[in-house]
Amino acid sequence: MSDEAQQMRGKMSAKELSRKLTEEYLQDARTAHEHGKYVAYTTAVSPVELFVAHDVIPIYPENHSVACLTKRMGTELSMAMEKKGYTSHLCAYARSDLGYRITGKSPMGGIPDPDFLLACNAQCFTLTKWFEVLSRKYKVPLFVFDTPQWIRDPGARKEILKYCIRQLQELIAALEELTGKKYDYDRLAEVMVYSRDASLLYRKFLDMAAYKPSPISIFDALIHMAITVYLRGTPQAVHYYQTLVDEVQEKADKGIGVVENERFRLYWENLPIWFKFRDHFNLLKSYGANILTSLYVHAWSYEFDISKDPLETLAENYVSVFSNVTLEERADMALELFRRYCLNGSLMFINRSCKAVSFAVYELKDIITEKTGVPALIFESDMGDPRFYSETQIRTRIEAYLETLQRREAEGV
Amino acid sequence: MRIGALTKLLEVANAPYDRLADLKKKKRIIGSTLADVPEELIYAAGLHPFLILGTNNPIRYSAALLPDNSCSLARSNLELVVGYQGDFFDGFILSQVCDTTQHLCDIWKRKFSDHYFENFLAPRQVARPSARDWYAQECRRLRKELGKYTGKEITDDDLWRSFRIYNENRALLRKLYDIKREVPALMTNREFFDLVKATFFMDKEEHNRLLREVLDWAEQQKGHLQGQEGYFKLIIAGIVVEPPNIYDLIDEVKGNIVGDNLCSASRYIYHDVPLEGDPAEALAERHVRKPHFSPINSDVERIYKDLLELYREKGAETIFYIHIKYCESQDYDLPDIKVRMRQEGIPLLELETEYQTTHLAQMKTRLQAFCESVLGRM
Ligand code: SF4
Ligand code: SF4
Repeated sequence: MSDEAQQMRGKMSAKELSRKLTEEYLQDARTAHEHGKYVAYTTAVSPVELFVAHDVIPIYPENHSVACLTKRMGTELSMAMEKKGYTSHLCAYARSDLGYRITGKSPMGGIPDPDFLLACNAQCFTLTKWFEVLSRKYKVPLFVFDTPQWIRDPGARKEILKYCIRQLQELIAALEELTGKKYDYDRLAEVMVYSRDASLLYRKFLDMAAYKPSPISIFDALIHMAITVYLRGTPQAVHYYQTLVDEVQEKADKGIGVVENERFRLYWENLPIWFKFRDHFNLLKSYGANILTSLYVHAWSYEFDISKDPLETLAENYVSVFSNVTLEERADMALELFRRYCLNGSLMFINRSCKAVSFAVYELKDIITEKTGVPALIFESDMGDPRFYSETQIRTRIEAYLETLQRREAEGV
Repeated sequence: MRIGALTKLLEVANAPYDRLADLKKKKRIIGSTLADVPEELIYAAGLHPFLILGTNNPIRYSAALLPDNSCSLARSNLELVVGYQGDFFDGFILSQVCDTTQHLCDIWKRKFSDHYFENFLAPRQVARPSARDWYAQECRRLRKELGKYTGKEITDDDLWRSFRIYNENRALLRKLYDIKREVPALMTNREFFDLVKATFFMDKEEHNRLLREVLDWAEQQKGHLQGQEGYFKLIIAGIVVEPPNIYDLIDEVKGNIVGDNLCSASRYIYHDVPLEGDPAEALAERHVRKPHFSPINSDVERIYKDLLELYREKGAETIFYIHIKYCESQDYDLPDIKVRMRQEGIPLLELETEYQTTHLAQMKTRLQAFCESVLGRM
């Protein structure tokens, strides 16, 4: 159903809802202090539920950076921080953010300054260092939620979990100190229910990619993941994903695919190249190809078990995110997506911004191609800085790869 | 004139795989990477701990395995084992301190699937009490795993003996550092830090024995040598100093390194393991007291506070910061360190390097220019 049709029925479309919720959320954050609330910066993967239950509004500098990068401000902001002595080798999110701190330039009027910082290194190590810079700048505390690699050893996992739970208790104590308020565990239990429901619905939305043709592409997932990143733990997020799932289900039921005559169902490794988002979609579409999924978008399909102690289920979910498991387990996770969505190709991007996700991708490619028998294209570039993106080279390689897939299809492989 | 013990240690430091080829006949060799793997446990298990410090050879084998912008420490470590010395080792215990090391572990493990392999999951924060307990817990796990590997449980007695040997080693090195500081003419920076390096590779008791000889010699010599005249005192900050010829450049301009926070020096030799209580707790106690290490989160101001303290305590004139190219941890710290040092009026020289940097002419020119213009030395 079109946005207009939805509106006519008096119900907001997911897209509209997303816009509205985003505005309200930002407004809330901007006026946090007036309402006795606090602003905490955090990483996209982090136990944000603990904030939500304690009137601390989470702000994600990464999301703000995505907005900067899609508006092609990446180079300008990076150059501003390079002038201050930082290097262009750092993560483009950090570069945009530090550039924003220097220039004040933002496509959305900026984000409020932090009262507190939380970095969860299950996502990456970069954020710890980036937030250390911010912690010195704003003279606010930084809490590093240290999540050791989720190695495949049941005994070790038990201990890792204990360490993580202990840290969540330390985090709660730090939040109590920040706000001067006692932590309300009943509220946390409520937040956990919303978070579980939103995460399950989000996963259901991602799983719509299993339909043939797929009613969504990864680009939809990248747009629609924003709400679960910054509003999980709230009833609004649940409502939003229910609306979204209903919408997409309707398309699926009618057999409407994102790409007409869908032939190639692709896996994407890594974060997207934000400023090439549309171009890539269109190029692939012209070949009947659609990128359906990646481990990255699945990073937020948590499975909270609310019968457990909230801290335990939080620790379990966050420590085991794809960027913190072993290479073998990560390959298994990717292969599971291949099976679930019947994928028959993959584009593997080595993102110089992000060592956390990119470092072992050459090896990952070996495992995945060996297990699936499907060839993969691998290329190095940067998710946010066009200076490291070679247009003709990458385009030619993607085209050549798609032609390989076409040949394989013609040969009945 | 050098004594035999000193010569031997320097030879080991500069060609460990040639000089120590015999080691393999005596013990199984377990390689580990910087920093923070509790070697004492490996030693107590009757194995030979050997710290892998990369290769300065050109990168040929590891290039296809890692992204272009990985730091040269990771690259050259992997290069060393994949390209040259894989057979030297029976197993590996690698620690994870940053994204690079975390994922390097996975790649490494796949390349050596026939070797013994353990991750050591050191805490990446030392800001809170949980870090200390977690370090102790990881030590307990490692102790158990090593026992499984050798087929023989590590006893408390094995551990206390190992701790004593390691403590002695650290104490001897600290003592020598004290003398070298006071009497720089006794040995060059290169010699001193090579001496430290030798301990990463050799049998500890053997190293202790040779070190004692060197110390006796140093004690005898120091009275005959001049003090600080002609030298300037400096602090070296960073993780490692590679290639080691950088020390030679500092020697050429008569810099006397009087303090450092390197993983390959002070972080290794400072503080002892307490010889009482629970052994894992004892290791953790030492761990949390170590000098600040860039990737490990702690009080965020320690990146410069610790340096300032060291600089003042040691009466240094300048700080040289050894910056490993593509080390993102250092990349994030450096601008703030520079600003702070400028505010404090402390001259800081950043030297960017890679293990594979063979042409040091440019660095030499910079160093000389810095000494002339900033330190007023001709
Ligand atoms: S892109 Fe990678 S390095 Fe950058 S913040 Fe995200 S996870 Fe961390
Ligand atoms: S801390 Fe720096 S030098 Fe060490 S492995 Fe990580 S990136 Fe490389």
